Amino acid sequence: MNFFSNLEIGFATALSLNNLSFCFVGVLVGTAIGILPGLGPLATIAMLLPLTYSLEPVTGLIMIAGIYYGAQYGGSTTAILVNLPGESSSIVSCLDGYQMARNGRAGAALAIAALGSFFAGTVATILIAAFSPALAEVAFLFGPVEYFAMMVLGLTAATLLAHGSFIKGVAMVLTGLILGLVGADVNSGTYRFTFGSFSLTEGIEFVAVAMGLFAFTDILTNIRGDTAREVEAPTFSNLWMTGREARQAAFPVMRGTAIGSLLGLLPGGGAMISSFASYAIEKRLSKTPEEFGHGAIAGLAGPESANNAGAQTSFIPMLTLGIPSNGVMALMIGALMVHNIAPGPYVMVSNPEIFWGLIASMWIGNAMLVVLNLPLIPLWVRLIQVHYWILFPIILTVCCVGLYSISNRVLPIYFAAGFTLVGCLFWRMRAEAAPLLLGFILGPLMEEHFRRALLLSDGDMAIFYQSPLSISMLGIAAAMCLVVLLPQIRRGRSAAFTEET
Amino acid sequence: MPAMPKRNADIEAGLFFTLFGGLTAALSLQYNLGTIAAMGPGLFPLMLGTLLAVIGLVIFIKGILFGGEEARSLPLWPIILITASLLVFAFLLLTVGLTVAVPAQVFIALRASQHFTVKRAIALSLGLLAFCYVVFVYLLGIPVPMIGI
Repeated sequence: MNFFSNLEIGFATALSLNNLSFCFVGVLVGTAIGILPGLGPLATIAMLLPLTYSLEPVTGLIMIAGIYYGAQYGGSTTAILVNLPGESSSIVSCLDGYQMARNGRAGAALAIAALGSFFAGTVATILIAAFSPALAEVAFLFGPVEYFAMMVLGLTAATLLAHGSFIKGVAMVLTGLILGLVGADVNSGTYRFTFGSFSLTEGIEFVAVAMGLFAFTDILTNIRGDTAREVEAPTFSNLWMTGREARQAAFPVMRGTAIGSLLGLLPGGGAMISSFASYAIEKRLSKTPEEFGHGAIAGLAGPESANNAGAQTSFIPMLTLGIPSNGVMALMIGALMVHNIAPGPYVMVSNPEIFWGLIASMWIGNAMLVVLNLPLIPLWVRLIQVHYWILFPIILTVCCVGLYSISNRVLPIYFAAGFTLVGCLFWRMRAEAAPLLLGFILGPLMEEHFRRALLLSDGDMAIFYQSPLSISMLGIAAAMCLVVLLPQIRRGRSAAFTEET
Repeated sequence: MPAMPKRNADIEAGLFFTLFGGLTAALSLQYNLGTIAAMGPGLFPLMLGTLLAVIGLVIFIKGILFGGEEARSLPLWPIILITASLLVFAFLLLTVGLTVAVPAQVFIALRASQHFTVKRAIALSLGLLAFCYVVFVYLLGIPVPMIGI
């Protein structure tokens, strides 16, 4: 059976000593940044991306992926122990996880979170392995028309589900698409928007964009709130959960996994939305909803599993279609492009070791996280106390050296400085920067497919609604735009996100 | 009508996107537009720029009519210092080398924090230099000059 031979390739790749150690480094760094408030996975991955360029593509991706799902684990540790969400996806875990810790069940809460996440990670990995080839088969049928329609749909959905104003998100996507077009035009070789500068002919360095908009802008917005955090180290009377607690957690974990796996597939979905959805559902289903907020096990187990499952399955659209569903996936696509691998269904055929190696490494990484997380808790508690003034100069220097190392030039550093100013402007105007990154990555591809589609149809725009696949995708995108303009839904969305800020 | 915030984020964003979109559209006119069937390099940016300018106008009008969100105030001094620290690092890296660029960056950037002391800046610089040498130069072999060329 193909499935098993594929997994065999995957595990053979992922279990090589080199990949195994970078997977370990990835999950370790991921856990650490998940714990540190003020340093998110997007900024960290942008920071470390140039350093992965010298690695084999699969090794680099394994490490980046490890950082991403490792951050989900780390975020929950701080949420439970000190009521600080290290990550936006673990805000929900603060509600009941911290209450459990206050009731003296810190150990049980951590164990439930870790084991629930592991279960979710395992299921999500199997789902990725099982469904990606099928989805890629569909993608092989896509022509330029369908690809263009799918990108429109993907970008619309990603903007819709990302928080912040929808219309500003659309404007940010367009800004990103435009910035992505800078440089030589593939068809004619014309240099566009280079202002006569030779250094722009290959386009704007996307790591510089990501670092400027995320890593550096984050520093500026965090620097004022830098006050010492007083953290009481929790005492562990008992690190294990009782049988009753395990039974209470079992169904929420399964439901959370299902919700997270589903929501992770959606563009713009992923860890955070999954955890909110799971919490709401657990509370609705519970026989004792009054316990929620006072240490309900279901209120911790469900969202914890959901955010991990969501983080994992959000790889599926990226791996099979080449469409990033969130900022981290956009960075991974950028990493693939650096190695001249065109993201999309062909990766599975042309570089099966990358595709299956990454999937196998996710499962291994999840197993490492369970082993890693529980015994290292005292160390993680110390890490929460690290002051921001120690952290941000380190981020700055590591980023700068990374920017330099991309092409052994200092020019990307100047660009990153410029995008830091732009990022501050966006922050002031309350425009989310993540949609810009998605547009930036997809800009050239979108133009390519658009032009090719109209070349095939000899300039007839009708081609976009004559293909049934294309018209249904564009229709869904249009419907989503209409729905978001209805005021009551908009109000509901803002209510769901108020807890985050 | 909702209360109008003092600094209206929607009006600012609307203006920004309209200007950026308009500029893009205007600049793309200098390239060959081609036809719909055989698009030149200018047409797609022209379309994007126009669309962005229109959306920017919508955001702008929405800001005027409905008030919109309040703009956040920017931390001016940290922005200047952090940006300067990046520029100084880039300038010093190839002229004097990492040994000078790192402490310079740390001193300038740390000024942005209320926790700045000379002792902390020195300690951080030394620690970072050691880290850079071990990880970047020794382990990863990045050809970053420790002492200038």
